[in-house]
Amino acid sequence: MSTRPLWLRAVHRLERAVGEPIESAVRTEVYFDLMSKATRTTGSAKRKLVGTSTSVLHVFNLPAGHDIRRMREQLSRMERRLNQLSEHVEELDPAHRHD
Amino acid sequence: MPPTLNPIDLVSRVNRDVERSLLRARNGVRYVRGSHAPPVGTTPKEVVWRRGKAELWRYRNGAVRYGPPVLIVHSLVSRSYILDLRPGNSLVEHLTAAGLDVFLLDWGVPDELDADNDLARYLDFYLPRAVAAVRRESGAQEVTLAGYCLGGVLAALYAAAHKEAPVRNLVLMATPLNFDEMGAMVAFLREGRLDADALIDDTGNVPADVLYSGFYMQAPTTEIAQKATLLQNLWNDEFVSGFQVMAQWSRDHVPFPGALFRELVDEFVRKNVLMSGSIRVGGRTVNLADVRGNVLNAIAERDNVVPPAAVEPAMQLVGDPARREELRLPGGHVTFGTGRSAVKHTMPRLAGWIIDHSDECPEPKEW
Repeated sequence: MSTRPLWLRAVHRLERAVGEPIESAVRTEVYFDLMSKATRTTGSAKRKLVGTSTSVLHVFNLPAGHDIRRMREQLSRMERRLNQLSEHVEELDPAHRHD
Repeated sequence: MPPTLNPIDLVSRVNRDVERSLLRARNGVRYVRGSHAPPVGTTPKEVVWRRGKAELWRYRNGAVRYGPPVLIVHSLVSRSYILDLRPGNSLVEHLTAAGLDVFLLDWGVPDELDADNDLARYLDFYLPRAVAAVRRESGAQEVTLAGYCLGGVLAALYAAAHKEAPVRNLVLMATPLNFDEMGAMVAFLREGRLDADALIDDTGNVPADVLYSGFYMQAPTTEIAQKATLLQNLWNDEFVSGFQVMAQWSRDHVPFPGALFRELVDEFVRKNVLMSGSIRVGGRTVNLADVRGNVLNAIAERDNVVPPAAVEPAMQLVGDPARREELRLPGGHVTFGTGRSAVKHTMPRLAGWIIDHSDECPEPKEW
């Protein structure tokens, strides 16, 4: 005999009654297509919004989030390059060889 | 006739219910406040090597009685503490207690600096160095390489790509090879739907919340049933702790490196290239059949993240057919780390297979 109380069994049954159709729905091709479209549309709207706000801020000679991101990307590229160089230097040291 | 209760039973039931109500109230406040979160990853360990965000941990938990050492390669999607979740419910703790020398390669939390990490970077840079560090630290010539989920893909490709790789045993845990069978997890990324770049953010990586949404949408309402079960068991400290750590882990994803994600979408998902048995990495062809050691393909039969059908082809593709074995486990994707079935079936059977394919040390070693 189950030790679960009646209310818990009812919640679990209700959750399955609602959950199973939802789980089936989110595994259909229609859902995948819809979500893909929604993601693309949201992304495109966001890009347009960012483009507009960037243009406005540039009119006032102010940096936009886009400019900060570009700076961060450049810094990351530099740091990656520095890491690569230090790795090359380390590889020259026989004590650090991995094979 | 309804059953009658004698007064002593009645008093004891009332006492129990009052006591449980008080415990429920106390644990409920703690749960809502987020205090008293149980610690995770508590098996004692030391960082023995690190490069970038990647760290190699060596666990200390008694004498080492078997070799070679075990190097666990964790997935790039989730946090590695799933494999060392709680004392008494930890794969790492179980393997170390069985007398194995256990290392874990944790990838950390990728950021902008890791956005260029591609498959070649993992196979030809991180993994050879981590394996070398394991050999250096343990003094062993070979390793048992155990990969979990995508970590298994990395481990198998590394062992195949480096013919001199000192891998005596390769353990694949819930390792997807047939991405056509990955179902809803990758359905958005199929040809004609989303391109990889649609999911990559300004840091150049796929944000952790995108990965979380992917898992959450598999069963969006189960949280309600789980919370109701928690409410019923809120008086039970052990249950609440277990619930808290699992809830924490299932939300605790890490960003996925953008360059590897593009390769994953183009090669693994759209071309399903691993099913051909080979893949181009770093300008050469890597054949999965070139893995030289013993191969164990561990399949969780109720895994709905990496379904068995996605994992099974390792038995046709990885290593020498005479040295392949399959292990079917009665559990889901996390059975490799936690749960009653993990403690009862998964951990003993994995440890048993590894020990059967290891050597006994002449003298147990402490480190």
